[in-house]
Order: sequence, then structure tokens, then C-alpha cells
Amino acid sequence: MTSLHLRRGALFSGLAVLVLLLGQAVAFPVDGDKTVLPVSTELNEDALDKPREVFQSERTGRKSYLVNLGDLAFNSPGLLGPVARQGGVSCGTCHVNGANNSKFFMPKMSSRPGTFDTTGPLFNPKANNLAFDPVRIPSLRGARYLAPYGADGRFASLRDFVHNVITNEFAGPEPSPATLDAIVAYIQDIDFLPNPSLGPAGRLAGKISEAERRGEALFSKPFPHDPSLSCSGCHVPSSGFVDHQQHDIGSGGLFKTPTLRNADFNAPYFHDGRFDDFNQVVDYFDRTFQLGLSTQDKGDLVAYLTAVGDGTQPYERDGAGATLKEINDFSSVLAIAVTAGDKDTVALAVDTIGRELRELTEQYPDRKNTSVSGGEEHRVLARNSLKELVLTLRRIEMAVGAGRTSDATTELRNFRYLMAAAVPALLASAEPWSLFNQDVHDQHYAALRQVMQSKHVSH
Amino acid sequence: MYKMRVATCLLLAALAGVRDAHAGALEDGAERYRPYLIESVASALAGARALQERAAASDLPGAKKAWLSARAGWERSEVFTAGFVPELDVQIDAWPNADSGFHAIEARLFGAGSTDVAADVAGLVQHLNDLHGKLKDIKLTPQGLLDGTVRLTYEVGESKADGGESRISGTSLDDMRNNIAGIDFAYHTIFSAALNTVDGKLDEMVSNRIEQLEAIVATPYLPHVDIADLRRTSEELVVALQGASAKLGLQRPTLEAQAR
Repeated sequence: MTSLHLRRGALFSGLAVLVLLLGQAVAFPVDGDKTVLPVSTELNEDALDKPREVFQSERTGRKSYLVNLGDLAFNSPGLLGPVARQGGVSCGTCHVNGANNSKFFMPKMSSRPGTFDTTGPLFNPKANNLAFDPVRIPSLRGARYLAPYGADGRFASLRDFVHNVITNEFAGPEPSPATLDAIVAYIQDIDFLPNPSLGPAGRLAGKISEAERRGEALFSKPFPHDPSLSCSGCHVPSSGFVDHQQHDIGSGGLFKTPTLRNADFNAPYFHDGRFDDFNQVVDYFDRTFQLGLSTQDKGDLVAYLTAVGDGTQPYERDGAGATLKEINDFSSVLAIAVTAGDKDTVALAVDTIGRELRELTEQYPDRKNTSVSGGEEHRVLARNSLKELVLTLRRIEMAVGAGRTSDATTELRNFRYLMAAAVPALLASAEPWSLFNQDVHDQHYAALRQVMQSKHVSH
Repeated sequence: MYKMRVATCLLLAALAGVRDAHAGALEDGAERYRPYLIESVASALAGARALQERAAASDLPGAKKAWLSARAGWERSEVFTAGFVPELDVQIDAWPNADSGFHAIEARLFGAGSTDVAADVAGLVQHLNDLHGKLKDIKLTPQGLLDGTVRLTYEVGESKADGGESRISGTSLDDMRNNIAGIDFAYHTIFSAALNTVDGKLDEMVSNRIEQLEAIVATPYLPHVDIADLRRTSEELVVALQGASAKLGLQRPTLEAQAR
């Protein structure tokens, strides 16, 4: 298959996934008048297709302890302030697997899906600027190449940016220097999805279409009314399609140049997420800078942007295997912390892994859930095994807390033994009756919607 | 070799004696639990009958009040239902489905604001009545009650950040309080004294964790329940109860019905 076919295939599959996601737009049922997060909040946690995460370190080696610790902290609500902790919100809620969560929507904090007001009223009232000014939730892929940080690029350092998110935007406690280092290491290890169509210096490579080739030329062509400007002047192809600068393009202030790599999957676009697709973006530049683009020019530019923004296998099907792999990575941090008697890290790991295991348990409906039929024995065994893992973790934390290192080590050995074969086998056997199965998933959420829609309030 | 066999036999006999001693105390405790169970289910049944009457009279506020009363009795008895009658649990407390049981009625009353619940309430009354009729004679094994206590304790630790199971009526916090009251009563009526004779510290730990759970859900507003603390305490309580099972001569409780 040619790279062109591959790219078209990737684009098509990306669109197909997008359509699929939109088609099953099921709000995570935050409902009632006793919820931590606003009613109708959409976290998109039930999505069956999750962004694929690629790590730079795994190209030739493996993730370090520091990266795994950072990943753990990144996915821990305990890192953030009280509202986030109570709502189960972590960095990973908005940046799923390091990518953006384009479906995330929180009333009074989002203007549209995929945006979030970092100076809004909910998470840290002290940082509330009394203005409704949500910004696009960015993907963190390739973040190590994309300084400065923040939509307006006000942070030169990723470390300072992360610190600000934790303490100011989410009112979290002052993180330890080691935790900050770990989160930065994790983010810096998240790579762009590979794009076979991009060659050296960010030029299109391989078999590309005429439209893409014309779009590439237009991209570097000086603007007619100001020849000092061009698209590529800011989105420098040889530098990850950024220039590390802020610019005023008439969108409401100075904002940093966003990368175009993997941008096919980063909608909505612009700092405030005002545009849904590349067509709207190109139209905006054509209008604002009087580029005089023909219909074909616009189509060529969109074709070029789509080629540059592509990535191999942007989504992967969620399943028990993906969660278990992540838990195994997190467990490597736990093992080192147990040996070192590091109570804080053990507590962080037990809390985060236990939470993930409890969420995984809910993928296997219990007997009270009559929207699902069949496989009851398999589901019971799967749920039981996951609950045993949660309790084994708790015993580890209790043993470390009491200074019983030997007991903790024994329990850790049990945990790893269960994780090595028994639990994966039980989960695999129960998978046909789990929420990882599209039909079961749909039946379960249809039942939940039926309950929620009984209310007079709109959802 | 002969001496080893004798020693083994003596040890087993001694352990059997311990188990027998515990078994007697635990079975006595289970019998003391029976009136509480009968009273809780009777309360649920009375609430369901009142609900039937109020719904028939199109009295929405009265029907809601009766639903809450029925629900409270049911939640207090979940230590028993989780361990002994899982099939009835499906008919009475199915979730998230709105097809039958408490939550179907909740959706109609509290969600749609309708008293058109006659068929569902009739089913609820019948199921609760059947259950109530069996309770006098049903064999209440200490093992089954410990299993139910442990399973419910684990469930209490689940996050209710999305509004919980009874989110339409806004009574998930009441569910939790009634669950913990049921756990407290079951433990102190059936297991505490026996455990105290063999491991006073463990008995103290269990009691302490139950008190902590009660303190955590004492807050008047569900979103203020400390989710992390709730989870940690519930898991520590389950771990302690699992440890207690061996000391009481019982099998280690499983976390799911039918998983043994």
C-alpha cells in the first residue's frame, strides 16, 4: 500500500472514529442535585476508543521510573485540589493518554466541547477572574518541542507551567520537587504519533497528491499584502511547525503558535477552540489577511494541513489489556517505593492504581445490572479478582505504614502473581459480557439514559 | 511419625474446639441479628404498602415519603440480602435499569413526578412480602452474614461523585448511612464479642473503622463526603474483616456473591 493510500486510510479511519465518537455522544451521567461536578458534565470516560499514547523512550528502550511515577501522578486526582479530588478529576481527565479530550465539557467551565476555563469559578475560586474565557485543551504530544507553554505562551518552562496548573488552576497542594520532576519527565516522553508522510525538514515525503503538493507551496508563499508573512513563517516545517513565538492574528490577543503535527486529532482549533475544522481555519486566515485564496487554493491548503496533521493509528480500542498494561507500569513504581519504605509514593500508587481497578471493575456489570445478560459467572469472577487486587494494594499500604516491610513485600508478590496470569485470564473470559463489548456498552448506557431522562430537567 | 500424627490430631481437635466454641457464639449472634433483619424488612414492606396506597391516591409527596421509608429499611438489610438472596436483590434493587424495583419507581416518582407506579409497586410489595415471610425460618449462617458484611463494606467505598445509585431522588447519602448502620449492627451483634476473645486489637480496629465510616457520612451533603477517606476506610475495614474470618474459624469472605 502506498503512503498516500495509508494517509487517506488514516484520515478515513480517524474520521470514522470521530463519527463513531460523535454518534455515541453519551454524556457521562453526572446527574441529580448532589453531585460534585456540574450536572451534564461530559468527561467522555465511557469512550471505547482512546487516543494512542506513544513514548519516546519506548522506541529503543523502556520508560524510566521517573516517567512511570509522573504518569501515576498525572492520573491521580490527589495531586489536585479538593474539588478535583472529590470529582475524580486528574490531569489525565482532560489530557487522555496525553492527547486532548475533545469531548470534555463542563457547564460554566467550557464554552464548547474540548475547552476549559482555567480561571473559572469551580476548582479554585481564588483564581477566578470573573471572565468566561475558556481555552482549548491542548494535546501534549511532542510537548518537549513546543515551548513556551500555555495558550498565550506565558511560561517558558514546562515545569513552571505544570506547577501553575496544579497549584493555581486546580488549587492543589504544593507538589514536591520530585513529583514535579516526574510529571515533567512523563510529559516530555509523550511523542508525536509517527507520520510517514513527513520527511526531513518537515517536507511532505513519499507519494503525495497534487492537491497536497500545491498546498505545501501555498503554505510557504508570502502573503500578498505583507510579503514578510507566510503560513510557514510561524509554523516552521523544520521546527515541528512552530516558531516558539506568540503572535496577534486578530483572534483576541497574543497567542503562541500551535504545532500542526498530529493536528488532525486536536480539534477544536485556535486558542479558544472557536473552529471545528481546517476549512474554517483557512477561511479565517483568508479573510483576516486578505489572501485572496480561490476555492481550489483553500482545498489544497486543507489537504496539506491534513497530510501534515496525520498520525499512525491515532486511537486504539479500549479494553482490559490497556488498563492492565498501565497498571503494570504503575506497579513498577510501587515495587521500588515498597522496597524503599517510601510511604508517600506507596500511598499515591495505591490510591491511583486502586481507583483504576475499581473503575475497571465497573466494566463488568454486576448481577443487579439487568441490562446485561449472560456470562454471569465470568463477570462475578472478573469482579471478584479485581476487588481482591484492590484489597491486596490496601494491605501493602497498611503494611508499609506500620513498618512491616516483609509483609508488604509478600503482598506485592501476590499482587504481581495475580496480575501476571490469573486476572488477565479471568478478564479475558468475561470480556464478551463487559462494557468493552460495543453491544453491552450500548445496552448499559441506554438503561442509564432511560433513568436520567425520566427527569424534567434537560440533559 | 506416630508422634507427629498424634500431635496433628491433637492440634486439629484443639482447633475444632475453638471453631466449635466460636461457632456456637456466632450462631447465637446470628439469631440475635434476626429480629433486626425482620424489623428492617418489615419497615421496607410497610413503606412499600404505604407507597402503594399513596400512589393510588395520586398523592405524590406522600408517595415519595413512603418510597424513602421503604428504601431505608431495605438498605439497612443489605448485609443480609447481599449474602443470602442475590436473586431477590436483582428484582428489588436492579440498577441502572428503570424496568423494575426501587429505581424504576424512583425514576417515575422523583424524575417524572408521576404516581403512575401501580404495577412496579405491586411487584415490590410482593417481593418484600415473600422475603418477610421467609425470614423467620431462613437459616442465618455466620459465614453468609460475614460475606454480606464484607461485600457491602466494599461497596460503601465506591465513589458517589456522579450522584450515586439513588441520584434521581438525591438519597445516595442516606443509602450509605443505612448501609453502614446495617454493617455496624451486624458486626457488633454477631462477630465482635467472639473476635474480642481471640484478638482484642483486631476487634478494636474493626470497631474503629466502622466509627470512622459513620463519621465520614455524617456530613449533611453528599458532595462533601471525603471520597478518598471513604474508600481507604472501607478497604481497611474489609481487610480487617477478612483477617477476622480466620480467627473466627470462618472462610475468608469473597467480594462477590457466588464467587466461592
